[in-house]
Amino acid sequence: MIIKEFDIKICKENVLKLIDCHKDSPIYEEVTEEYEEMLPAVYEKMEPVALLAFESVEEFQIEGAGNESKEALFCITSIGGRISQWITELFTAGDYLGGMLADAMADDYLFQVDHLLSEVVIRLCREKKRGVMRRLEAPQDISMEVQKKALEVTDGENLAGIRIKESYMYDPVKTTCQVYLLDDQIERFHIKHDCSQCPNLSCKLRDIPEVTVKAAGVQGGIIEITGRKDQTLMEMLTEHGIFLSAVCAGRGTCGKCRIQVLEGEIEPSKEDKRFFSTSEISQGFRLACRAYAKGDVVITLDCAQEKEFAVLTDFGGRSKDSAVPDTKSIEKGNHTYGIAVDIGTTTIAMQLIYLADAQVVETFTAMNRQRAYGADVISRIDASNNGKREALKESIQKDLMTGISKLTAHGKLGIERMIIGANTTMVHLLMGYSCETLGVFPFTPVNLEIIKTTVKELLGTYAQDLEEDFEVCIYPGISTYVGGDITAGLYALDFEKREKPSVLIDLGTNGEMAVGNQDRIYVTSTAAGPAFEGGNITCGTGSIPGAVCKAVIEEGKAELKTILDQPVSGICGTGVVEIAYELLKEELMDETGLLEEDYFEDGYRLAMDASGREIGFYQKDIRELQLAKSAVRSGLETLILRYGITYEDIGAVYIAGGFGHQLDIRKAVGIGLLPKECEGKIQAVGNSCLKGAVAGLMNEDAEEAIESIRSVSQEIRLSNDKDFNEFYMDYMFFEEV
Amino acid sequence: MMSIIQEMSEFLQKGRAKNVKALVQQALDEGIDPKEILNEGLLSGMMIIGAKFKNNEVFVPEVLVAARAMNTGLSVLEPKLVEIGNEPVGKAVIGTVQGDLHDIGKNLVVMMLKGAGFEIYDLGVDVQPTAFIDKAEEIGADLICMSALLTTTMPRMQDCIDQLNEKGLRGKYIVMIGGAPVNDSFAQQIGADYYTPDAATAAEVAKQAVLSKEK
Repeated sequence: MIIKEFDIKICKENVLKLIDCHKDSPIYEEVTEEYEEMLPAVYEKMEPVALLAFESVEEFQIEGAGNESKEALFCITSIGGRISQWITELFTAGDYLGGMLADAMADDYLFQVDHLLSEVVIRLCREKKRGVMRRLEAPQDISMEVQKKALEVTDGENLAGIRIKESYMYDPVKTTCQVYLLDDQIERFHIKHDCSQCPNLSCKLRDIPEVTVKAAGVQGGIIEITGRKDQTLMEMLTEHGIFLSAVCAGRGTCGKCRIQVLEGEIEPSKEDKRFFSTSEISQGFRLACRAYAKGDVVITLDCAQEKEFAVLTDFGGRSKDSAVPDTKSIEKGNHTYGIAVDIGTTTIAMQLIYLADAQVVETFTAMNRQRAYGADVISRIDASNNGKREALKESIQKDLMTGISKLTAHGKLGIERMIIGANTTMVHLLMGYSCETLGVFPFTPVNLEIIKTTVKELLGTYAQDLEEDFEVCIYPGISTYVGGDITAGLYALDFEKREKPSVLIDLGTNGEMAVGNQDRIYVTSTAAGPAFEGGNITCGTGSIPGAVCKAVIEEGKAELKTILDQPVSGICGTGVVEIAYELLKEELMDETGLLEEDYFEDGYRLAMDASGREIGFYQKDIRELQLAKSAVRSGLETLILRYGITYEDIGAVYIAGGFGHQLDIRKAVGIGLLPKECEGKIQAVGNSCLKGAVAGLMNEDAEEAIESIRSVSQEIRLSNDKDFNEFYMDYMFFEEV
Repeated sequence: MMSIIQEMSEFLQKGRAKNVKALVQQALDEGIDPKEILNEGLLSGMMIIGAKFKNNEVFVPEVLVAARAMNTGLSVLEPKLVEIGNEPVGKAVIGTVQGDLHDIGKNLVVMMLKGAGFEIYDLGVDVQPTAFIDKAEEIGADLICMSALLTTTMPRMQDCIDQLNEKGLRGKYIVMIGGAPVNDSFAQQIGADYYTPDAATAAEVAKQAVLSKEK
């Protein structure tokens, strides 16, 4: 069957979209004028034709046809060769705009031929009492060879002069092939092009259908969200402010973002097959970061959602009863309060400080919602460099404003000023600086200097409802990898006044550390990886309720303690250290980190979680820990060596950060994370960054002290350091060297 | 005050062909060196617009009108350049490989290469491997650029490089490839020198490659 009559009007809107010409372009007028001028010539050159033929598919090798379908309707649509010839001529003559416009107009015309044909397809199928099971297109659904079969079946060469190259490409260029697989389900016609399956990802007309996701287990309730079919469930959820645990930032490698499909279909991914047993997969368990909903789905997050993270705001282990500010008794406009802020990669901590007596009046903690763009600094830098710079800035602006509103009872309290401590990347994201140079050698920051601004300037429109503007100071950093959060910590611990060299270690994904005194400070950062935050650990998790944080193994039995004494949900960073220490102590693991034969294959079993999942500690987890602990210890050893002192010369060793806070020092020393020789001098200091910000609010000379710390600080880079590399091999083991 | 050359570059970036043409004529009348007109007035404007395109500051249509303006200017300038014997940055042979009839992407690369100061020999579509080599030998090319849009035609790029090797000519030419199914690792696999993802990058890379080869 051949059809040559089509009533088609080229769609200007689509054509302009195809060539990326937007209404706000300075040349929009010029382009549209040219379009109108070219239109008659384009119509004149069109030679539309459609060829259709039914044929058995048994003799063709069409994958996916299966046994269900034995017949297909083969279709070829073309607009002839004259238009293509003209397009080439335009380009050759240097009329590039004309060439691109004509090409886009031809494409739109061809799409419309295909579109109009669907009526014919339906009519023909009805006459044969068949339905259309699926529409197939080359190359995504069928191989290019099928184009040759289609040409033969429809007799396109004789009827319309369409030829085919040895590569199976049609001549003329503007010719396409569709194969409709038929079955007996009459009145069902799946004949539309499915953009979500199409390989042309940069197509300007790409239109991805939406899916609805109902998610249970979100703050005890059910929410309904919509997203696009080509988004992962994790992307959809984070867009709506629901953060799944994703230590690997959605790369499918940490296995933390478990969800369960209750209704609907989600094809199991390669990664699902690695993290789940066959029965778990059939029960609907999937990794959200690899899950694409085929249609509407209902899922539950009960097994995965990152509940409240324990955000550390206290200092030195002191307990603190924060009083609710009595707004009535305080006169507005007195400016007797300050706000201290710690912007961490994962969490944000803010405190309202009464300046008369340095009392903490109120505390606000929250997840850093930039996590929607990646869990670690590297993925945030990537996101910023890929067009998300503004979105990241707005995210943190919004979070800070939420904190300010909560702390000041919606602006009723007068604030004198706010001080922020944050790592260099977080400062870049907050200030909206380009992160282009942060992530690539030689890792240069845009700005490390102290930043003085005001809240209205910093938070823009988010702060417009604040009645009074106030000062904001962002602490300066030392280098790209040792930022203002460490400067703040050094200040909180009086490093600028110390005579005896002391050590500060912030245990996290980037183990930042400093050794020094008032005259000289050496700093560095070491890529510890996420193990201390539960990342890359089989059953690892963040510091959430139910995470194992203490363990004692005696006579083959494990005694566990979890955060807030909730039922076991996983193992957090401190748990990892505890368990490793206990395994070593009980000689279930040797000094090279090898588990006893009984546990080598299946790991050391600790407990079952609520969903019946085994919580255990595995050989690969020990290897992760070895890499992390050796990185930190070797960094410290290198710093001490370069500084030219011995353990004896060290006054104190301070461990900062949420992980360090709950750490059992004896066990950390036991696994060689920290030096035995210093055991008596080690002290966990909690959130030293926040404390440094508080101290800044209270002291007039804070800026001077901070600048003095910076001026004596020097970064030691470990990446090519020979000593570091040697230490790194040595401290991988558990025995003291 | 803005110099006539600067003004030319500004007009070119805005795609104002008539203004560019008039300014080229005026500059020639004022006795400005045709080379300076070419490099500082026309090509530098194209470089700027190419960089903006890569940065997502402008879209394809803006580049197209700028390139058209450049061509218009060149039509006035070219006779003078020939007269003084100006050498192009380099010579490039380009085409879509055998069995493949797609030419839009290739045409855009031609446009950007011209904008970078190259002399282009466009062999069109469905080009045999030997045809690339014969043309390159004939004109003394620096670059061979191949485009393929189909997985079934990608192997023809390899054929061309193999033939270059057989004839002992591989070292003479910089080979660049592009097209939707092609990527960096394919380029390495077949022994091409460069893969570039878009026309603007292709022009930049081509220029750098030719300049560093000359050193």
